[in-house]
Amino acid sequence: MKTNIIVIGIGQSLRGDDGAGLRAVSQWRETFQETAGRHEVRVETLELPGLELLGYLDNMDAAVLVDAVQSSALPGSLSRFSLEEVLSFTQDSQSAHGWGVAETLQLGQTLYPSLAKCRLILIGLAGKNFEMGARLSAEVEAALPNAAKMIQHEVSRLLENPAKDI
Amino acid sequence: MNETIEVPALARVEGEGGLYIQVKDGKAVEVRLDIYEPPRFFEGFLQGRFLQEVPDITARICGICPVAYQMSSIQAMEMALGLQISEQTRLLRRLLYCGEYIESHALHIYLLQAPDLLGKQSALELAVVAPEVVKNALRMKKIGNELLKAIGGRSVHPVNACVGGFYRWPDIEPIKALLPELEWGLETAQETVHWSLTLPYPKLEVDYEFVALHRDNEYAIYDGEVWSSKRKPMPVDEFDKVYLEEHVRRSNALHSHTIDGNTYLVGPLARLNLNHEQLSPTAQKALKTAKLKFPIRNPYKSLIARAIELVDAYETAIQLIKSYQPNGKAYVPLTLKAGIGSGASEAPRGLLFHRYAVDANGLVQRARIVPPTAQNLPRIEDDLRALVPQLIKLSQEEATLTAEHLVRAYDPCISCATHFLKLKIEKIK
Repeated sequence: MKTNIIVIGIGQSLRGDDGAGLRAVSQWRETFQETAGRHEVRVETLELPGLELLGYLDNMDAAVLVDAVQSSALPGSLSRFSLEEVLSFTQDSQSAHGWGVAETLQLGQTLYPSLAKCRLILIGLAGKNFEMGARLSAEVEAALPNAAKMIQHEVSRLLENPAKDI
Repeated sequence: MNETIEVPALARVEGEGGLYIQVKDGKAVEVRLDIYEPPRFFEGFLQGRFLQEVPDITARICGICPVAYQMSSIQAMEMALGLQISEQTRLLRRLLYCGEYIESHALHIYLLQAPDLLGKQSALELAVVAPEVVKNALRMKKIGNELLKAIGGRSVHPVNACVGGFYRWPDIEPIKALLPELEWGLETAQETVHWSLTLPYPKLEVDYEFVALHRDNEYAIYDGEVWSSKRKPMPVDEFDKVYLEEHVRRSNALHSHTIDGNTYLVGPLARLNLNHEQLSPTAQKALKTAKLKFPIRNPYKSLIARAIELVDAYETAIQLIKSYQPNGKAYVPLTLKAGIGSGASEAPRGLLFHRYAVDANGLVQRARIVPPTAQNLPRIEDDLRALVPQLIKLSQEEATLTAEHLVRAYDPCISCATHFLKLKIEKIK
């Protein structure tokens, strides 16, 4: 059976390392063209999708989200989070502009039980600088090839073992 | 309430700002909306840009009302060049604007203000107790975004509108395909009006000067004359002779006032009070069923006005789509000349005024943008002053929520105005 997978880079290209998820997905698409080009794989880069994110997950069997994270980890470090872990990051939403990925996914879980069938993982790239500007910090830039490999690893696993629980 | 109330950041508004209220002997000594989101200098960096770039640059001021920025700037440029656009261009621009009203109003009614009226911290909490309400809200909002996409290529920051018309006529089929969802939206918007009448609005009556665009033959969104509840009608290019902006040292947003130094109100309440006779037939019917008495002077009831405007926006969109049959060129070619032009349209949050001076090469010499939230900021402060006698009788928590709710009822877009909220209420002994 065909497994529909969506790979989504999320971020802001003009906010320093917040563009990391967008860049990582672009780099994966260029490096692993064969996988990214498969008909069951859809690739998107979304700047501040807000609630629109839910529409992209609709009818998907699996989703790999790639986003910059603010953490105490070293800049450029990669982490893999399950949906449950992402949901635990939820904070009270501060604004319509700032509706985050965790809040959106939580709202999605509450409203659309069908989303539960979408196996979702988030790859987080630890950023350093989230100030205005299009440039990634050197540490995050250097981590992009590894991020692309990690995306490839997750997508390949999903394609090879569609039924396997992640 | 205690001597001080402090909330670190006001939630469910667009942008960043703080609120400070100081009370002495039961009266407000100081009320401040502090806008700490950094200024954005759009008027500065538009200087030297070619006039055709301006609609898409100013659209970037806001992700919720990009069409408003396009429509006001486009009209200003067309006035500067003396361009006459075709009627079908005007109708398509109005349709595009309906898409923006639908997505913006559905967002504000259900996700930003309704949690206050239903005693919930956020739309997430609301979704737990009323999932169908929030689902409908998201579906209603999505229709608006889909309409923007069908006309302008993208669901946020659409790109097809230009000075002179549109870059190309959007295809008919994707637009007509939205009709069934729009019909559902029209039904759901009428239910939204009924529901909005059952909500427990805090009491506050304010004698506002309502200011909005007006047209005799339609509910003015795209264009119109400037109307006020307290003045004679005036053409758009006289707007900034009567409604003035000034820099307030503590704020990154300019503050507006009338030429006689008073505050005034723009937005859904102003529009509905001045223009309810021009609403679409189904919106008129919803109004009649609601038995509303005009003028509505309670700022919290802006939600009802937005709900009625949703009905109008869905119905207008349906009518405009049914008659959409583009032919001929999508735009009028530009003939450059030096000039000054003003443009105003009704952004979902209120009247948005633009003025540009361009040179003979079409380069911007001066730019002026007066967003609705900057006009309403001093008005919100006046409303908060009027609210203080009620606040001091409330518990700390209730006082804080009531004040925050008032600000949110305005649907302030701080990001637009910076060119905005932490709450602190202090009582002096």
